[in-house]
Amino acid sequence: MNLGVIGCNTMGLMHCQMAENAGLKVVACGDISRDNARKAARKFGAEAVGDCVALCNRDDVDVVAVCTPTPTHTEYIQAAAGAGKHVFCEKPLGRTLETIDEALAAVERAGVKLYVGHVVRFFQEFEAMKARIDAGKIGNVGFVKTYRGGIFPGGKLGWFSDWNMSGGVTLDTIVHDMDWLRYVFGDPERIFAQNLKRVFSERIDYALVTMRMKCGTICNIVGTWAHPSGFRVKVDICGERGMVTFDSSEAPVSAQLRLGAGSGPSTIVPASPVLVSPYQLEWEDFAGWLAGTRKPRVTPEDGRWAVRMALAALESAETGQPVEFN
Amino acid sequence: MAKIGVMSFAHMHALSYAACLNELPEAELRAVWDDDAARGQEQAAAFGTTFVADLDAFLALDLDGVIIASENVKHREMVERAAAAGKWILCEKPLAPTVEDCRAMVAACQTAGVGLGTAFPCRYIPSVMAVKDELDKGVYGEIYAASCTNNGQFPGGWFARQALSGGGATMDHTVHVADLLRWMLNREFTRVYCENGRLLRPGIDVDDVGSLHMEMEGGVIVSHIASWNRAASFPTWGDVTLELIGEKGVVSVDAFNQKLHVYDDAGMRAAWDYWGGNPDLGLVRGFVAAVDARREPDITGVDGMKAVEVTVAAYASAKSHHMVAIG
Ligand SMILES: NC(=O)c1ccc[n+]([C@@H]2O[C@H](COP(=O)([O-])OP(=O)(O)OC[C@H]3O[C@@H](n4cnc5c(N)ncnc54)[C@H](O)[C@@H]3O)[C@@H](O)[C@H]2O)c1
Repeated sequence: MNLGVIGCNTMGLMHCQMAENAGLKVVACGDISRDNARKAARKFGAEAVGDCVALCNRDDVDVVAVCTPTPTHTEYIQAAAGAGKHVFCEKPLGRTLETIDEALAAVERAGVKLYVGHVVRFFQEFEAMKARIDAGKIGNVGFVKTYRGGIFPGGKLGWFSDWNMSGGVTLDTIVHDMDWLRYVFGDPERIFAQNLKRVFSERIDYALVTMRMKCGTICNIVGTWAHPSGFRVKVDICGERGMVTFDSSEAPVSAQLRLGAGSGPSTIVPASPVLVSPYQLEWEDFAGWLAGTRKPRVTPEDGRWAVRMALAALESAETGQPVEFN
Repeated sequence: MAKIGVMSFAHMHALSYAACLNELPEAELRAVWDDDAARGQEQAAAFGTTFVADLDAFLALDLDGVIIASENVKHREMVERAAAAGKWILCEKPLAPTVEDCRAMVAACQTAGVGLGTAFPCRYIPSVMAVKDELDKGVYGEIYAASCTNNGQFPGGWFARQALSGGGATMDHTVHVADLLRWMLNREFTRVYCENGRLLRPGIDVDDVGSLHMEMEGGVIVSHIASWNRAASFPTWGDVTLELIGEKGVVSVDAFNQKLHVYDDAGMRAAWDYWGGNPDLGLVRGFVAAVDARREPDITGVDGMKAVEVTVAAYASAKSHHMVAIG
C-alpha cells in the first residue's frame, strides 16, 4: 500500500515513519509549505507535492494521511474519498459536526475506509488500565478523573493559538480522554464544562469538564495549556472493589543535560520508552483493516462522537449549563 | 488556662482534638460529654479526664469552651445548648447540613455573646499556609482557575446514613476546599454545578462521589471532587489537592504529600505515613487563644456557613442538572 501524507510537520513526519513501520510505503508528501513537503519527501524517498488535492488524485497513492491543522481535515478527507482513496486522519476528525458529516457522507459514498487517529486507545498504560477494568478487577467503576496537558502547544504564531482553528485544549487535547472514556464506559448522557478561553490571554487555556456516562459513571476531565512548561497525564479510576491510578511523571527515565557554563538551568526530560510506539500500533490496526484481517479499533463514528463531546463541552462552557446527549 | 470540654466522639476527629488539648500547655481537657455513654466513658478514660453523662450537668461545669464533634444533624442543638450556657464553641465541619441550621447557630452564638468557630484544620496545613502566603504576596498574580480534590476512603457508620449526616461525600468533602478557596483567594462563591451519586458503595443511602464546578466572584472557575472514592487498600486515608492557575504561574498543592512510603510485612500492605506538621494542633491552639481572649475564633461560624451554602447548592444542582446560584 502506498501512502500520500498531507501536512508534513510534527505529526505528519511521525506518521510517515509509523506507517512505514507498519508496512506502507510513503510515496508523496504534500504541504502548503514547500519546505516542509520537501524535507519529508527527502527523508522518506518520496515526491514533494504542493497541491494536496492533486496528491489525492495520484494513481500511485492508495491511502492518504491527513496531518494538517484541524479545520482542514474534512476537506482533505473529501478530496481523498472523492478520488477513491482510503484515509487516515489525525484527531480531532474535524472542527465542526457539519463538515464532519459531509466528509463521512463522502467516505460512505466512495466506499473507502476512514481511520481516525485516537491514539490514546493504543497507549500501553491506557491499554493496561482498560484490561483491568474489563476483567472486573476493581468491580463496577463509579468515578474516573483524567488530567492531560502542560505547556501551550506550537510556536507564538502557531495555529494552535487560533481558537477558531484548534478549539483550544478542549477540542485538541482532552478530546483524547473523552474518546477513551467513551471507548471504555460507553456513551455519555450529559456534559458540563468550564474554561478560560475568551476571558484571558490567547496563550492560556484550562478546561474543567464533568461527563456523566449513561452507565452512571462520573468522569472528571481536566485539560491544561496553562503551564509554563512540561506535559503530564494522570488518571484515577475508582471502582467498588479497588482503584487504578497512573501518573506520567513517574517515568522510568529522567535525564538532565549539562549545558555550557552560565547558560542557566537545563530542562529535565522524563521518558517512558516502549517497545512499539502506540502510533505504529494504530497504523498496524488500520493496515489490518485495509487488508481485511481485522475490524478497526476506531471507527469513523467514534471520531465523530469525540468531536461531538468536545464541542458540547465548549458549548456548555459558553452557556454555563450542561449539554444533554440524546 | 482555658478549660475545654469535648461534646461527642461520634466524629473521629474528636480523638485528635482531645489529644491536641492534652498536648497544649495553655489548655486543659476538663470533661467529656457524649450521648453515647459507653463511647464517652471510654474516651474520657483514654484522655485522662472525667465523663459527665448529663448534658445540663456538663454545661454547668466551669468550662470556658467546648469542642463539638457529633453527627452533623446534631450540631445545631448542641451548639444552641452550649451557647445558652455561655460556652465558646468550636464545631466540627460541616457546620450543619442546612443553611437554615447554620444561620440559627450563628444567631444563637451572637445572642449569647459567645464565639463560634468552624473546624477547618486545612487552613493550618504547612503547605497550604506557605502557598496562601505566596498568593498574598502576589507571586502567582491573579488566579483564574482551580482544580481541586478532597478524596477519602469510605468512612462508614453514621457518615453514610442520611438521617445522621444529612448527605454523603458531597456533604462531607466539599466544605474543606470551599473554605480554603474562599480564604486563599479572598472571594466568595457565586454558582455551582454538581454531578453526584452513590456509585461505589451499593448498600448506602447517600452519595459517595461528587464532581462540582464552581464560579467565584471575578469569574474564577473551579472544579472540585468531593468523594469517598479511595479503595480500602489505598495507602492513606485520602487527600486534599489544589492546582491554581494564575496570571504569573501555576501552583499545585498536594497537602499531605509529606509522607514516608512504609512497607510492613506484618500487615502485607504498603502505606503512606504523613510526617508533616499536625494541622489540628494549629486549629485547636487558635480556638484556645480565642477562648482566652473572649473573641471570635479566626475561622468563624459564618465561614462554616459559607461553605455549607456551596454544599447545599451543589445538592440542588445535582437534582436539577442545572448550574445554580449560591446563597
Ligand atoms: N494524536 C496526537 O497525539 C496528536 C498530537 C499533536 C497534534 N495532533 C493533531 O495533528 C494535526 C496536526 O498537528 P501538528 O502538531 O502536526 O501541526 P503542525 O503545525 O506541526 O503541522 C501542520 C502542517 O500542516 C501544514 N499545513 C497547514 N495548513 C495546510 C493546508 N491547508 N494544506 C496542507 N498543509 C497544510 C503546515 O505547513 C504544517 O507543515 C492536528 O489536527 C492536531 O490536532 C495529534
